[in-house]
Amino acid sequence: MSTRRILAVARKEIHHILRDRATLFLVLFTPTALLLLMAYALTVDLKHVPIAVLDYDRSPISRRFVAQITAGQDLDLYAQVGSYDEIERLLVQGSIKAALILDPAFARDLYALRGMPMQVIIDGTEPESGAFAVDHIARRAETFVTQALAAQLQARGLPAETLRSIDLRVRTWYNPDLKPKNDVIPGLISMVLGMPALSVALALAHEREHGTLEQLLATPIGRAELLLGKILPYIAVGLINVALIPALAIFWFRIPFHGSFPLFFALSAVFLFAILALGTLVGVFMRTQAAALALSFLVIFFPGFFLTGIFFPLASMPEEVRLEVLGLPGTHYAIITRGIFLPGVGLEVLWPYAVFLLVLGTAFTAVAALFFRKKLG
Amino acid sequence: MDAQRPAILAQDLVKRFGDFTAVNGVSFEVQPGQIFGFLGPNGAGKTTTIRMILGLLKPTAGRAEVLGLPVAQAAAQIRPRVGYMSQRFSLYNDLTVRQNLTFFGRAYGLSDAELAERMRQALDMAGLAGREHVRTKDLSGGWRQRLALSAAVLHRPQVLFLDEPTAGVDPVSRRAFWDMLYSLAAEGVTVLVTTHYMDEAEHCQRLAFIQRGRLTACGSPEEIKRSLMPGPVLELAPADAGAALQALRRAQQAGRLPPAEIELYGSRLHVVAPEAHRLRRPIARALKAAGLDPGPMDLIEPSLEDVFIASMR
Ligand SMILES: Nc1ncnc2c1ncn2[C@@H]1O[C@H](COP(=O)(O)OP(=O)(O)O)[C@@H](O)[C@H]1O
Ligand SMILES: [Mg+2]
Repeated sequence: MSTRRILAVARKEIHHILRDRATLFLVLFTPTALLLLMAYALTVDLKHVPIAVLDYDRSPISRRFVAQITAGQDLDLYAQVGSYDEIERLLVQGSIKAALILDPAFARDLYALRGMPMQVIIDGTEPESGAFAVDHIARRAETFVTQALAAQLQARGLPAETLRSIDLRVRTWYNPDLKPKNDVIPGLISMVLGMPALSVALALAHEREHGTLEQLLATPIGRAELLLGKILPYIAVGLINVALIPALAIFWFRIPFHGSFPLFFALSAVFLFAILALGTLVGVFMRTQAAALALSFLVIFFPGFFLTGIFFPLASMPEEVRLEVLGLPGTHYAIITRGIFLPGVGLEVLWPYAVFLLVLGTAFTAVAALFFRKKLG
Repeated sequence: MDAQRPAILAQDLVKRFGDFTAVNGVSFEVQPGQIFGFLGPNGAGKTTTIRMILGLLKPTAGRAEVLGLPVAQAAAQIRPRVGYMSQRFSLYNDLTVRQNLTFFGRAYGLSDAELAERMRQALDMAGLAGREHVRTKDLSGGWRQRLALSAAVLHRPQVLFLDEPTAGVDPVSRRAFWDMLYSLAAEGVTVLVTTHYMDEAEHCQRLAFIQRGRLTACGSPEEIKRSLMPGPVLELAPADAGAALQALRRAQQAGRLPPAEIELYGSRLHVVAPEAHRLRRPIARALKAAGLDPGPMDLIEPSLEDVFIASMR
């Protein structure tokens, strides 16, 4: 191993990155832009979900119920309709996410305390909005029934104060505001920081595609030296992003940061080494940039998305899948970012993840170097 | 280095890709300071052979030595002492002339002081002084090849491998390129060069012809002509060479003319066959039958191109 040769490769790679402003801009700001985009796409707080109402009852009671559920910011009454056909049309158009249908016997059954005959139709292509609407309507219905019951008890001269809805109080630790973005964004950071790994995979595939790899392999530069030289500048690129992205998370998305910045920086560098090493592995195995791109999505982003516990908790994964997740740097880094961001835990808890990332990075580099020569031609 | 020892030695090199044999028992030697031409049609196995000699590809069988060192064991010692210009353009198009030279200089371990000195020489040699900051992709093909050669010799290699260095380059640039090669050889650098251009092959001291993975001839240009080309070539100068060529090919298909390679050389036709002089009469008959004037016919010494064509049958 010669540092001089590693640095020769690294400096050449920096020249590639700096060769024009567009490339530089892309490499530096894609992760940040991606974070912004995904954070907005994935953490929209559900509000003002449009619904339609088909009221067959048309009684004062049914009107009052509709007015109650559409008061506030949660559900908006998009239209009062006269038929199922209209509901279908509005759903297909996407104008509404759910429809509430009140039975002709709505008020009569409520008076008789037989129930509240109604139906909710939701758009299955947007289950979250639909589930939100159902949940909201159900809670309001419960309150409505309680009120109706209380009114009747009072009318019959019975005490109504004892009647209370269930009082469920939930306390959330670590994320007391229960803002989904507080949880999602630290996870997202581990995904968007995978972008430099894509760049390094493409850079390697580019050398192979353009025949310069063959030239490189004929120089005294060793295979491991070449890979490390390629990784170094992208660690620097990644660290610039590591500085930018938490700033964005804290000041733009207003997510609390409880941990230590130097620790976060250091552990991010370790993660970048591991993910970039995975990127070189992809670049070594794929002959063309297109193939490298596809495989990068498969091994760098796709698992990150589904398996690293960003959106689904790791504990809910089947055993076999979880073992494979352990091989992905993003899993460990997601745990690290969440830990440092939310409860503000330190190295005493996170060191096993950091060690594992170091081991992964070394292993990926070694395998990539091993397979390098066999793949020429 | 031992003066008797070849600079490059290939011994029974074999390379199989699956059940396809790309190189099939190739052996040759290149003496120090020689310009050695490696010739053969596309897909003959030239690049594969060079890759094996450079240690970039593991031979299926056989061995290679460079500067007396076995490639399989001593690649690390050999690398700094050889230069290579791979078949495709081997520099970085998006980097400038200077960035490319700097990178390859550092890759071969030159110190910054050495690099500054060699860079100046390289720019002079390639005629690129004053254009250091031009992007390589903005250079024309000929300049790029000269730059690539300068980059490949920046570290003063003793042996130079050039894989089709002048493919697709205009004749004037090709001449400038060969002038650079001659001066390198005069300094004692051993050069192994593959080419398609037969006029370039005539400039080599020794040649090897390879075809479908096998060497068909090896020696000086004269030896090759003698071994591959038993007799002279029949040169025709008909009034309309294109029409004559078509008429003769039709006659061959109809069986009215014995098999022979007939190729167009400008306004002349070369007929290459073991006993070409015997074809004078049937050719004249075939051309007259087609209403064409045969014109003068001469027996001439074969060029390497004739030899090459003859060897390809
Ligand atoms: N990596 C490879 N895998 C399979 N076949 C190959 C490989 N490299 C070369 N070949 C085949 O080997 C033959 C010789 O190729 P090559 O050495 O490049 O020929 P040349 O340089 O003389 O044009 C060709 O038919 C080519 O398709
Ligand atoms: Mg070739």
